[in-house]
Order: sequence, then structure tokens, then C-alpha cells
Amino acid sequence: MAVREEHRSILDEDEEEDEDEGSRHLSPLCDPRHLLHRILVLVFMCFLGFGSYFCYDNPAALQTQVIQDMSLNTASFMQLYAWYSWPNMFLCFLGGFLLDRVFGIRLGTVIFSLFVLIGQIIFAAGALANHFWLMNVGRFVFGIGGESLAVAQNTYAVNWFKGKELNLVFGLQLSMARLGSTVNMNVIGWVYGRIQSLTGSAGHSTLGITLMIAASTCLFSLTCALILGFLDRRAEKILKKEQGRTGEVIKLTDVKDFPFSLWLIFIICVAYYVAIFPFIGLGQVFFIEKFSFTTVQARAINSIVYIISAPASPLLGFLVDRTGRNVLWVLLAVVTTLLSHMMLAFTFWNPWIAMCLLGLSYSLLACALWPMVAFVVPEHQLGTAYGFMQSIQNLGLAVMSMAAGSLLDNKGYLFLEVFFIACLCMALLAVVLLYLYDYHTEGELNLSASTRAERLKAE
Amino acid sequence: MSRFKVNFIFSVLFVVFGVALGFLGNGDTFRRKVTVELNPGLKPPSSLPPGVALVHARALGLNDTLHFVLCNLGAPALLLVHTNSTESAVQVTWPEFINRSSPGSLRVAPESSVTYSSALVFTRIWEYDDVNNTADPQETAESSFYSPYELQNFIWSDLNTTANQSDHVITLCGRENTESFANGSLCLRLSVFESAGRDRAWPSLLHNSNSSQLHVWLDGLTPRGNLSRFALEFQSVGDSGFQGRVDVRSSIDDEYTPSIFKVFDWVSLPLNSSSVWGFSQWKPVAYRKPEPVFEDATPCRHSPLVPVSRIPQSAAVRAYFTHEPQVRGLNISFGVDKDPVHYSDTRHISWTVLMGMGDPPADSFSTLIIIIMAVGLGTPLAIIIVGGVFVCVRKRMTRASVYEPIN
Repeated sequence: MAVREEHRSILDEDEEEDEDEGSRHLSPLCDPRHLLHRILVLVFMCFLGFGSYFCYDNPAALQTQVIQDMSLNTASFMQLYAWYSWPNMFLCFLGGFLLDRVFGIRLGTVIFSLFVLIGQIIFAAGALANHFWLMNVGRFVFGIGGESLAVAQNTYAVNWFKGKELNLVFGLQLSMARLGSTVNMNVIGWVYGRIQSLTGSAGHSTLGITLMIAASTCLFSLTCALILGFLDRRAEKILKKEQGRTGEVIKLTDVKDFPFSLWLIFIICVAYYVAIFPFIGLGQVFFIEKFSFTTVQARAINSIVYIISAPASPLLGFLVDRTGRNVLWVLLAVVTTLLSHMMLAFTFWNPWIAMCLLGLSYSLLACALWPMVAFVVPEHQLGTAYGFMQSIQNLGLAVMSMAAGSLLDNKGYLFLEVFFIACLCMALLAVVLLYLYDYHTEGELNLSASTRAERLKAE
Repeated sequence: MSRFKVNFIFSVLFVVFGVALGFLGNGDTFRRKVTVELNPGLKPPSSLPPGVALVHARALGLNDTLHFVLCNLGAPALLLVHTNSTESAVQVTWPEFINRSSPGSLRVAPESSVTYSSALVFTRIWEYDDVNNTADPQETAESSFYSPYELQNFIWSDLNTTANQSDHVITLCGRENTESFANGSLCLRLSVFESAGRDRAWPSLLHNSNSSQLHVWLDGLTPRGNLSRFALEFQSVGDSGFQGRVDVRSSIDDEYTPSIFKVFDWVSLPLNSSSVWGFSQWKPVAYRKPEPVFEDATPCRHSPLVPVSRIPQSAAVRAYFTHEPQVRGLNISFGVDKDPVHYSDTRHISWTVLMGMGDPPADSFSTLIIIIMAVGLGTPLAIIIVGGVFVCVRKRMTRASVYEPIN
């Protein structure tokens, strides 16, 4: 899933909370100011995104089954991912606007959860009815809800947990997202196997039933959204505070003011992520064919990137925060990913090593790259910058997913890996150029954390 | 700075060697001149049954000759004979050959120049009912097997020979006189090559001028059960004094056959030596359509190599091998564990094997991949070097400017 949740939303954390001195005395669990109640809200907040992360990687975990049951080739299979990304090219700009001005955070969250649920149901219905175009429509609808739901999740987090707790909450939400993906990778195949032994045969109906069962996680997320909305409204009435706002202001005209460093950061972002997500999407069969893994092992190794990312992201984030020098960390992450892809492509070494490296470098890049945007762009343009970054990332993913599928159909896995390596080389080129440009213009990107703190004090 | 230099030099050398190897790796430029003749020396009153022929492809090298003889009198066989003379020829005593295929009625003269001979014979098509969906005939009970189709009893339609500049292609198709083969046929296509190259069609085996390619396909046959799967039995006949084994090679390169990373070589080598004299090479993949796309590929596996006591019922082999030849056989079975697609879905299955002399050819990277890797890795590396130099120079200059002359 695109990394909407991985950037710290640089929002105003100093909002004043109104203390209502005339509130009734409530039990700790029901008191919106008390920690226990906020932990309860945190639980619902974390599970809000669980359904959409679980269902996002359903195609990857069931790749062989989808291809066989719907009689597809790999290029068509990758359309399932492409159709998820297409709506997000535009929604990155609209999402914040819709949540702030049109729907409000509570109604907006419920609406987006509904989109996620309905999208997954249409996706499953397409499989049951054996219409692949309907499955693509389902993924499109699912995509509309998925990314915007992450924005809503972040906004809830900022609204309920300000100050020092915010980083922890973001970290937890990210870990829950990864947990959802991991559970999907390892469980949905087993579910398919059980349904197959119940119905007695494989086929599109078995696939449809499995996807419907996966939709139950989306139903669960919708329930969390409804409960969250209720709790938030209740808290608003008791504490008399406003609905949360995303705080993002999108002005497309700001694009012409983006500095050169920012464009380099965009290139790094697109070139890097197209070497990760389509690879995971197609990874299962690669491990089965090249390394002679069993299906269960292949699914497990495919999910290792997410499993590692869950604990590693907060740790690496802490590391990057302490040391600064973001550009060097990004360089390290890109080089490590490049090495790991080269290991997978050109050797028969145990792929667990390469995939663990991939997981670590993926987490490192996320922690080091996204905050860099905040260093090069003034605060009032931050919303536009992040929105633009998400948008072209989704465009890149949509196009490259299909390209990857058709490359595989015609030229095989080695060529596909070389293609990914070429994308990473482009990212590497951009990082090196960014370092040199930043050095030349004496910019802020590669300062150590202490220097940055001094500069902040001096201002 | 010096470590930078050393690294830089090594990377440049690596890239240069890589490019060079890429260009030279496929550089088997050895060529042969191929001529094809049909039924050499056949004169009336001897006549062959309709559709049966003996095709002799003569691949002439600088100081040796490679003879490929394809004959479908009896089970279809491809005989390979290598001689160290440029004047060798195939001679057939037709009356004995047609009537009794008596040993010696097919020979390559002068016999003293023959260095190596071997034959590949397709003997049977096995069909079995895959009730457990394991696609493994070794694990299937004998009762699930239908009676095999014996290729020696097939009736062949006319031979088709085409030739273009560098390849000579001979196609023959046959069927059994039963209902199953009402619309079906088993076809063999032999390609004899003048130089190294690669077929466009999958599995795109790399061949050189010391090898020939046999493409076998079963089309339109009516299976005797809905869950039927097929296996092809073929046997290799060679002189005594040779041992055979099947080697498997794993390759990282699947450019030419997407998602297939293994190659199997059935090699034949003398008993007291380890150098390979002859081979049959194939990739463990079969295709379900005549013009396959990625999803039409199905894995295939082979049974262990077993010695066979009787020489196969093929005229060419019986006539040529006079002294106690060694016969070994194996089965290639099509399909994989839990494969939902059976033969009845597409009614077509095709497989390719390369047969030749010497070491089996080995794939190497295409130049496109090498160029992409060189450019992809080289450009950032070059910029890192240049940038590193730039940064060092800058640092030195700023350090130098700190010192102000005390006047």
C-alpha cells in the first residue's frame, strides 16, 4: 500500500484544549480526557485501517489462484493493482479537502470505510460472477476509500494524541497496517484451501467466496469507523472542542514554486517504490519458480518485508531523528535495496537474506525520505507537496505495475529484476545528485540533528 | 582517495569484462554446411510404405561430418553419427532394410572414420487417468494406465521438408488407426542447424552447429478420460562403453523461457572418462498451445533413467547398431501437481529436445541485460566519483582559504 501513513503530518500540535470545568464525573473508561478512554479510542483507530491493508494485498497472496481461476496473464493480473492506484492520483489532492470542508472527519471516515467495504464486495462479486472487469471496478472503488481512510486515521490521531504521544501513535498505526498485510499474506491462502476442500474444486466461485470472507475485515473496519465517530462526537459534546481538521491546504499553483531538491525527492520516491510494491505483488510465483519454495514458504517470505517493517520503522525513525543526515540514510537505503535486488536476480543465495535486507531498507527509506519534504518546503505548501508526492507515486505505481506484468509475460523474471534494478539505479542517481546539490547550495537536508537543533534555536 | 581509485578501476574492469563476455559468450561461430537428402540410393523395385522415409541431413564441417538420420520405419528415430572425414556418406541396403532391418543394412562409410554414434527413439505415448491429480506417473497405480500408443504401429502422412538460408526443417506427422486419433496426430519436426542461434518460439533452446532440435507435439487426440495426462517415452541407443546420466543445471537466466530456471542434460560419456561426448537437452516445460503465451506453459518432469534390455522396434536403430548397443529409456510426463488444466482442455501439448554432440550448449545473458546493467550501475558510479572529487576539492579549497597570510 502506498505510504500515506508513513509521513508525519506536520500539523499544528499546539492547539489548545478547552477544559470544561462543568463536566459530569465520568468513569475513567468513559472520560474523554482520561488515558484509559484514549487507549480505547486508539484501539479502534488502529483497527480502522486493518481491513483496507488486509484486502489491498489479497491479489498478491492469491496470485496463482487468481491467474488460474480467472484465466489471466500476468499483465492483466497487475491491473488489479493499477486500478487501485489510478483514483489515488487525484484523491491525494482532494482527500484533505473532502475531509475538512465537505464531510467532516467523522462522516468522511465512515464514507471512506464504506467505499472500502463496497469495493471489496464488488471485487469478490466479480470473482463469483467470473467477470474480470467487475473485479477491476471493485479495486477502483476500493482504492477511492483506501488512501483517504489513511488520511482520516492520521487526522484522528492528531486530534486525540498531541505532543510527545503522537509519534508513538503514528508508529502503532503503521505497525497495525503492516500487521494487516502480514496476516493477509499468511492466512488468506489457507482460507482459500479450506474453501476449496469444502466446495471440492478450485475455480472462480472458490475465489469469490474467499474474497467475500476477506471483506468481513472491511466490515470490521467500518464498525470501528462508526464507533470512532460516535466516541468523537461524544467527546466533542463533553469537552466542547471542534472536529479535527487535516490542516492540509492544497493549492496547485504552489507547484511552480517547488525547489529543485523537491523534484529530486519526488524522483527518488517514485523510482524507489516502483521497485518494491510491484515486486511484492509478483513475488510469490518468483520464489516458487526460481528458488523452488512451497506456496506456504513463498507467501511467508513475501510478507517478511511487512513483518520487519512493523518493528523496524519506529526504531529506525528514532535513529534518523537522533542523527539527522537524512540524505545519507536515504543513500544507504537505496544502495541496500539495490544490493538485495541484485542478490535475488543474479544469485541463488538464500532469498531470506535479501528479503530481510529489503524490509530493513524499505523502513529506513520511509523514515528518512518523507520528513525531508518538510525541510525544503515552507509549511503552507506542505499539503500540496505531500499531495503531489502521493499523486505521482500512485501514477508511477499504476503504470509500472502493468509494465511489470507484461514484462514478466514476455521476458521472464530476470529481465523484470533487471528492470527493477534500473529503477533503483535511477533513484540512486537522484540521491547522489541531491547530495551534491544540497552540498553545493548549503541546504539543510544533510545536517546532523545537533546542527539542525542549533539552527532552530538561532532563529 | 586511493581507495576510491582502486574501487573505480575495479568497477570499470568489471563492466568492461562483463560487456566483452556478453558479446563473446554466445560466440560459437563454428559453421557447418547442411545438405538434406531423402532415401539415399532407393531404387525400384524397393519401395517404402507411404509416409515412411529416411531423411539424411549431412552437416559438413572443416574436417569432420555430422550425419543426422531421421527415419520413421518402425518407431521414429533420430540417429546421430560423427565421422572425422569429410567424405563420409550414408549407405543403405534397401531390400534388407525395408524387409527385416537386418543389422548392417544402414551404415556410414567409411566405417573406420566413425567416432561417435547415438540415437534417440520415440517409442510410446503413455496415457493415464490422474485421479489424485498428482501428475506423477511414478506414483500412479498401474490400473490407472490405459494401454500405451506404440509409435512403431503408427501410420505416417507425407514428409514435409523446408529449407531457408540457415535452417533445414523436416516435419512428419503420424497417427494410429484408432478412434482416439480420428482428428489427432503426433508430429515431429527436426531442425538441423548450420550455425549457432536460438529459435524464436519457446522454449528457445540455444543450439550450435553440432546439434539438431526435435520439436514433438500431440495435437487433437481424443483423451480416453477427462482426467487423462500424457507421458512420452523415449529411449537412447548408443555403443557399449558409454554411460548415461541426467544432469540438471540451474540458471539465473530465464529471459528466453520465462519462469523456467532449470535445464536438463541427458549426457553420454565414456565409462572411464568425464568428458561429455553426446547429449540430449531439454527444459522442463511443455506448451499447451501452438503459439503459446506465458500461461500456456506447463511444467514437465522426467522419470529416472532405466536400462532397457531390448533394442527398440525402429528400423534405423536395428540396422545401424550391430554390436550389442546399450539402450536406456526415460519418460517425460506433462503436468504438475494439482494442475487444474488437463490435456482435454486444449488438446495440444508440445515439447522440444535438442540432440547433439559434444558439450551441451549453455545460455548466457543477452546483450540488452548487460547494457542495462552497465549503464544503470555505471552512471551513478561515475557521478559519485566525479562528485566525490568535487567535494574533496571544495573542502581543500575552503580549508586553504582559512589561512590568512600574516603580513
